[in-house]
Amino acid sequence: MENLGNQIFSSYQRNPDLFDEIFDKDGSVKDVYKTLFDLYGGHSIQDYVRLNEKAKSSFFNQGITFQVYGEKEAKEKIFPFDLFPRIIDTNEWDIIEQGSIQRSRALNLFLWDIYHDKKILKQGIVPLELISSSDNYLHQMIGVNPPGGIYNHISGIDVIKHTDGDYYVLEDNIRCPSGVSYVICNRTALKRALFGVFNHYQTHTVTNYAENLLDLLETTKPKGVDIPNTVVITPGMYNSAFYEHSYLAKTMGVELVEGRDLFVENDFVYMKTIQGPERVDVIYRRIDDQFIDPLEFRPDSALGVPGLFAAYKKGNVTLANAPGTGVADDKAVYTYMPEIIKYYLDEKPIIKNVHTYHCSRPDELKYVLEHIPELVIKPVDEAGGYGISIGNRLSKDEIEKVKKQISEAPRKYVAQPIMSLSVHPTYIDQNESFEQRHIDLRTFTVLGKDREFVLKGGLTRVALKKGNLIVNSSQGGGSKDTWVLKE
Amino acid sequence: MYQEYSIQYSAKNHYDTLVNDAYWQFLIIPEDNESQQLVSWEFSNSLHDVNQTSINGFGFKTIRVHPGQKFNDISFQASFTVIKKETNPFDFSLPHHNKADYDKLEELNFQVDFEPFLRRTSLTRLPNTYIDMYTFDENKTIFENIQNLNGWVSEYLSFKPGVTDVDTPLEEIIEKRNGVCQDFTHLFCAVVKENKVPARYVSGYLHQGHGYFGDSQMHAWAEVYVPDIGWVGFDPTNNLLANTNHIKVCHGKDYKDCSPLIGVVYAHGANTTSHTVKVLSEQQQ
Repeated sequence: MENLGNQIFSSYQRNPDLFDEIFDKDGSVKDVYKTLFDLYGGHSIQDYVRLNEKAKSSFFNQGITFQVYGEKEAKEKIFPFDLFPRIIDTNEWDIIEQGSIQRSRALNLFLWDIYHDKKILKQGIVPLELISSSDNYLHQMIGVNPPGGIYNHISGIDVIKHTDGDYYVLEDNIRCPSGVSYVICNRTALKRALFGVFNHYQTHTVTNYAENLLDLLETTKPKGVDIPNTVVITPGMYNSAFYEHSYLAKTMGVELVEGRDLFVENDFVYMKTIQGPERVDVIYRRIDDQFIDPLEFRPDSALGVPGLFAAYKKGNVTLANAPGTGVADDKAVYTYMPEIIKYYLDEKPIIKNVHTYHCSRPDELKYVLEHIPELVIKPVDEAGGYGISIGNRLSKDEIEKVKKQISEAPRKYVAQPIMSLSVHPTYIDQNESFEQRHIDLRTFTVLGKDREFVLKGGLTRVALKKGNLIVNSSQGGGSKDTWVLKE
Repeated sequence: MYQEYSIQYSAKNHYDTLVNDAYWQFLIIPEDNESQQLVSWEFSNSLHDVNQTSINGFGFKTIRVHPGQKFNDISFQASFTVIKKETNPFDFSLPHHNKADYDKLEELNFQVDFEPFLRRTSLTRLPNTYIDMYTFDENKTIFENIQNLNGWVSEYLSFKPGVTDVDTPLEEIIEKRNGVCQDFTHLFCAVVKENKVPARYVSGYLHQGHGYFGDSQMHAWAEVYVPDIGWVGFDPTNNLLANTNHIKVCHGKDYKDCSPLIGVVYAHGANTTSHTVKVLSEQQQ
């Protein structure tokens, strides 16, 4: 049964230690992938090479590019797209969808609390240090009531499937999460290249994102506004996500503006048009907090709108996401997500959090000291991957050294189990063959005043380098179309 | 007993090349509070553009100017009339030494409520080598400690204009031991916070006493939250408690939250700016 008669997978090598999304341990194809597998099986690898070229040109024609910084001039590159789609069945999707809504709502309530009564801090459930040491906690937001009560209108939640077959959240992105335009364009490209295959599955559409986004953003319009005027504000064409900004504006049917296209008068925001000033009520902003208003934040920001923050504070304009949301997508706050979900919703996390052992708690410290080889040890106050020890890569001496460090200052360390991302068959250009590559999934959740929407699909990112766990587009990652099946 | 003050603020800006577009925000209006009342105010600019009022991120009143024309020069004139209650800065019963006050500083509720003013900012964080430069004596009340600190800061630094600017790091100020009122206030706030007591930076005007008519700048001092008393103003530059001569405009974590003037000017080339402030009391007019 091992890939018999399937040319495309004839050289596919399965590493038994990794969780393969389409093959079971015994090498049989999982049910949801069977049709796909058979359809691909009727082709040769040469057919596939041709299709792949066709898909690439489709991306060029659609103008889907991103920019890589750090070279002399920013270069436009195509986001590598893999033609072998990822399929998520209804049961698994329900978990992801409900879990994403749960987290987004819990984060919204957490943000409201830490900018108002601060109960969760006063009760000691989340340590005050997480807030007081964060540069993303904006004191200007204390006591401000965002229109519609929403802070994180758009949340990009990154989930992975671990070797145990369960989904885990790795990160909540609630500043300006990007990537949704790729989801839609991947679908377009896949349908163009492989409509015959796509047609065999009942897959949820992803092209309804923009209309739902606009709809829900407008439920959080400022008080007293009847029909809101919505715009997307971008830092400009040199931003790596500019393509997405223009795509979203176009598909929502709203204006794409830069800071200089807007002005504030008497605490209301206006857009300059040929017919004269036009009031703006809802701004989907893709500019970071520190740059939105040079009179309130960084005075050297040429991207923002002078006076915008005061207009927001007075309730005359909606900013999505709200300023100051960044404090809640911090890595340290992540470790408290189970407590945050329990506190505000009295629920258990639907998608698991990677379990975090706080060495400040004696019983957890004991566990950590006894299980170092199975754990990743992280200092709580270091950012950017400094001081991290990965247990299974340490020698005996190093383990003893780490134990000593932790014992001397238990408050300074947390530990997590070593996570392994699942793998998915991915076409590798230079080898002209399919190989296992690690994948994750970014989901997009939109919160409105009393409704929410999760895009049925998402951005499956794939690490194209063998063994690499980093799936970011700027780090040589690619992406796959993601099919969420109907019943 | 009341004291009436008249405050004149003016700023002049010159740009070598024509300015296409500009925004200014002035944070210079005296606030209305228990000890002072803003009776009247006026603001004008030399281009006769309409001025707007708004608020800054902390809710203090601001004036905004956005000229509708190109220019090389612009000047601003403001005048304020303020009535200040004749207060005795010691108008509260001095607490006896009380362990409960020190315990209060350790309470989580207290630390959460005062987080913004316990947080060290880049301008109010003592460098590690100076972290213990002034520690409180727990045999004295918190108020006494702060009073002593006020005197200590006023001795530790020498008042010397022109050697520091708004971006001078606290470490350099501590080492060179020179500065202006902002530097005195930042050092004072840094030490207070290091001793777990909330402190905030205050921007305002100082009436410099009888017979003083000279030009000056805006002044800076601090407010400290003393358990059992509340916010108390200290002027470490002059080793004074804030009194009738201190006219408050706003407060924040440090100077950055209180900049009297922020300008966003789209122009190339050099520019020069000058400010003057005059504070006159009724008797002197």
